[in-house]
Amino acid sequence: MGQRRPAKRRRLSRTPSLLLSFSPFSRFLLFAHSSSVPKSGSPDPSPSSKSTVDGIADPKPPKAIKRMESSEDEEEKQEKIEMVQADFEFFDPKPGDFNGVKLLLQSYLDKKPWDLSGFVDLILEQTTVGTIVKSASQDGEEEGDDDGGDDDESLFAVISALNLGRYAGHGCIKELKRFLLEVCSDESTKTKLKLLLEQQASDVGLLVSQRFVNCPYQLVPPLYDALFDEVSWATEDELFCFLKPTQELRDSFRLKYYMLLTRILENKNVNQRKAKQSQDYEEPFIYIKAEDEIFRELSLLSFTFRLHAEQLISHELKNYREMGLVMVVKADDISKFREKLKSLLAKS
Amino acid sequence: MATRIQFENSCEVGVFSKLTNAYCLVAIGGSENFYSAFEAELADVIPVVKTSIAGTRIIGRLCAGNKNGLLLPHTTTDQELQHLRNSLPDQVVVQRIEERLSALGNCIACNDHVALTHPDLDRETEELIADVLGVEVFRQTIAGNILVGSYCAFSNRGGLVHPHTSIEDLDELSTLLQVPLVAGTVNRGSEVIAAGMTVNDWTAFCGSDTTATELSVVESVFKLREAQPSSIVDEMRKSLIDSYV
Repeated sequence: MGQRRPAKRRRLSRTPSLLLSFSPFSRFLLFAHSSSVPKSGSPDPSPSSKSTVDGIADPKPPKAIKRMESSEDEEEKQEKIEMVQADFEFFDPKPGDFNGVKLLLQSYLDKKPWDLSGFVDLILEQTTVGTIVKSASQDGEEEGDDDGGDDDESLFAVISALNLGRYAGHGCIKELKRFLLEVCSDESTKTKLKLLLEQQASDVGLLVSQRFVNCPYQLVPPLYDALFDEVSWATEDELFCFLKPTQELRDSFRLKYYMLLTRILENKNVNQRKAKQSQDYEEPFIYIKAEDEIFRELSLLSFTFRLHAEQLISHELKNYREMGLVMVVKADDISKFREKLKSLLAKS
Repeated sequence: MATRIQFENSCEVGVFSKLTNAYCLVAIGGSENFYSAFEAELADVIPVVKTSIAGTRIIGRLCAGNKNGLLLPHTTTDQELQHLRNSLPDQVVVQRIEERLSALGNCIACNDHVALTHPDLDRETEELIADVLGVEVFRQTIAGNILVGSYCAFSNRGGLVHPHTSIEDLDELSTLLQVPLVAGTVNRGSEVIAAGMTVNDWTAFCGSDTTATELSVVESVFKLREAQPSSIVDEMRKSLIDSYV
């Protein structure tokens, strides 16, 4: 492993007055420092500085710097709206990110005890495909120890794709497959799922995407773009410990399917789901991550399952229950997904 | 002996348990594995009590105690207080205190003789700590952090503190506490020592992410493997090298 420098833990600063949920992840947004900069125009994403490296394992520079300005609606409010300016950087996964990624994936398999650490290690070892989003370095609030985003507390999002066949031998993947089969209640779906997980495992990529609840949505399309671009580049030149790229590893990224395990909110009230014309019609499903809705439309198969873990639901959403959602999407449909994702952002 | 355990996929075992020389408190709701890990090590020697504090499972961070007593925050319910009074040995004084800083486990670090406290603790609380726990109280910070209860863990035989503690601070704390101290981490580089592990004079429990190196540091500083012949050789080796110069 690389240098095992102890990760810095930030002391929690004052709670901002606006906390939309009591999600443990939103606590970590307390890092954000407010500024009195007035709301300016839309964010201008700088072009991704990704270069395809042919056969050389250089440590890649931060891929893109996104300047995000989260804006608040300037309605008639008595108190001054706090403007938050946040810069995000995209990095390749590295071993130092362990604690941050582990925190994000804490509830990945509901309450079931499994080898989460092993799973996180798999994600971090796969440096060619996968992205970690961190905040750009702070202005001297903490001791200046930031070299290449070593500060993993401000780790906001992780995305990666793990080939289920390549890692089939690992305990964590076996436990994950067993979990997915256990929670699937519908028999026909289960048979299809079993086929994908066992015989066709080397064609299936587990798409792991997790971020803090209040992450600005502008991050999401570049994040997915980065992932799918990396997957296609990896089929051209997958590297493995400075050895020559092997055909096997290149093939491990020729994925035919993507599997996703995510969370949605389902309306508890069955009547509401049916009464479309009613005055107080509530959505039957609320997608915590908006792109999940697009995935679900395009999915080959999908199913929801009940969660056993303690649920932290805010008061406004008291009619909803958090459910797990598993989806399988064909790799060919990904280009459709990317288009729809961009248009979703343009609309909102 | 130091053991690695998990509480429901979390390696922060010091959050969900409190271990002293006279009793052990464990949070309810975790899998039976967590509870049985403690039982396996401690059942014959000290009582292992399942409890909640203020209806929560983060008992390790809310209470502070040693073999003489246990201090609980004002948010503890009457039933919990009664349950603890009934389950713990009679010589342990269980006291609920009115203190603004209610996460006592984060504010107070103690062994059976000395306690380090958050600098902003009330004077009355400080006196209560000295009374109930039978310790000498020092207001301190650790590596600039005021939450002394989180960033260090010490027993009567040794202590582990925040990795960024300077040598001068280490010496000063070591003199105050009269035990050897080492700056280190648990759970693969986590600096929140007391959240990642819990310890008493003869055993320690660390989160399952703790590396072999971190575990060996824990075992050596808390003197948990004194029966091993290798440690004797190591001690001898140090003195031999000294005399060589």
